[in-house]
Amino acid sequence: MAISQYRQENQRVYILHTYPFKETSLIAELFTEQFGRVAVVAKGARRPRSSIRGMLQSFQVLLANWSGKNELKSLNGLEWCEKLTVLEGNALMCGFYLNELMIRLLPRDEPYTELFHFYHETILALSVGEELTIVLRRFELKLLQALGYAVTLDQDEDSNPIIPDKIYRYEAEYGACDLTRTDHGIKILGKTLLDMSKDFYQDKETQQQSKQLMRYLLGFYLGDKPLHSKQLFVDLQG
Amino acid sequence: MKNTEALEQLVDALRCLPGIGPKSALRMAYHLLQHNRKGAAALSSAIANAIEVLGHCSLCNNFSEEPICSLCASNDRDASLLCVIEMPTDLIMLEQTRSYDGMYFILMGKLSPLDGIGPKDIHLDRLLKRLDTGLIKEVILANNFTVGGDATAHYVSELLKSRGIKLSRIARGLPMGGEIEYVDSGTLAQAMIERKTINH
Repeated sequence: MAISQYRQENQRVYILHTYPFKETSLIAELFTEQFGRVAVVAKGARRPRSSIRGMLQSFQVLLANWSGKNELKSLNGLEWCEKLTVLEGNALMCGFYLNELMIRLLPRDEPYTELFHFYHETILALSVGEELTIVLRRFELKLLQALGYAVTLDQDEDSNPIIPDKIYRYEAEYGACDLTRTDHGIKILGKTLLDMSKDFYQDKETQQQSKQLMRYLLGFYLGDKPLHSKQLFVDLQG
Repeated sequence: MKNTEALEQLVDALRCLPGIGPKSALRMAYHLLQHNRKGAAALSSAIANAIEVLGHCSLCNNFSEEPICSLCASNDRDASLLCVIEMPTDLIMLEQTRSYDGMYFILMGKLSPLDGIGPKDIHLDRLLKRLDTGLIKEVILANNFTVGGDATAHYVSELLKSRGIKLSRIARGLPMGGEIEYVDSGTLAQAMIERKTINH
């Protein structure tokens, strides 16, 4: 597969985002199976007759060739490789949200192969109309874990097992602790934490509380700059 | 060598064009000053004039010298059909087909969630105001088939849901004279998904 370390061929990739570059080119943010996030220049991709113009769309698995030693590589080829995935309506909006999260949180040129596979499953889940909130919660948790942030859900700070009907305070970087111990973080029911650790999101209260927890944790790691795609969702509901 | 202030200003001004960096701007400035001073004067007065007289048509949002553009003012168009498009160039292309005789609304852009281009940037308030007139019976979405175009179409359709107006989106599939052997897989897959029933 790899001819030299600077030239990669037939790599499975998703396109997270593209933006115009010079007169006729694009910069594409790829999420690749083997190399994580990679930025490439697609030369001439904005010309009317460009063969890859129509392919540079998000939410499709593509096969890409690229080369280059610097952070910004050159895209040398792109091909369709899997069944066309169609994201419609709110599922499409969720897709944008996933992509924005990844662009904001994933560093470039570090492999996240397991996350790539999970992203792939998530896009498929969105395309077949699975319940959006649940799909998003699973992905958010997986993303934070892939980035190396320990989100401990089955034990409290002192490694005691979580008690389902106890209310805890959950603080980023620390985990769950007794309500009396700190004012930081957010209040959360033990059952929600246990449900999340078991990947069980059917309970309405779990859905609601896990959303608050993930919003708090992502906010902690994202900083002050808001997510554009989330605003669009809010506008759409209102 | 330090450029004179006037030259400096010209170069800076030219850089507001998309894709023009400092070098190209300097080359353009020299060309205008050295070889084509007449052209430069015409360019400057044309820009000044356009800025002065061109506004947006209050109906279709296209650029227009009048409050209502000639297309919207025309009596030959079907005022019950409204085609929503992204850019003025799309209008020119659709007019070239000579197969649509309704009205237009130009969004002047598309949603791009990751670039922070939201609903407020694509004049949806004006579109809604247009629909409030009650003349429109069908809205045709002619957004691009890109993820941004899909997002825009979805957003507009959500806005119109409660208004009881017929809503459609232009079809997609193989191009005119398209041969299956030479068409790209994405288009072909889409054509298969959105195939049309011939007998009922």
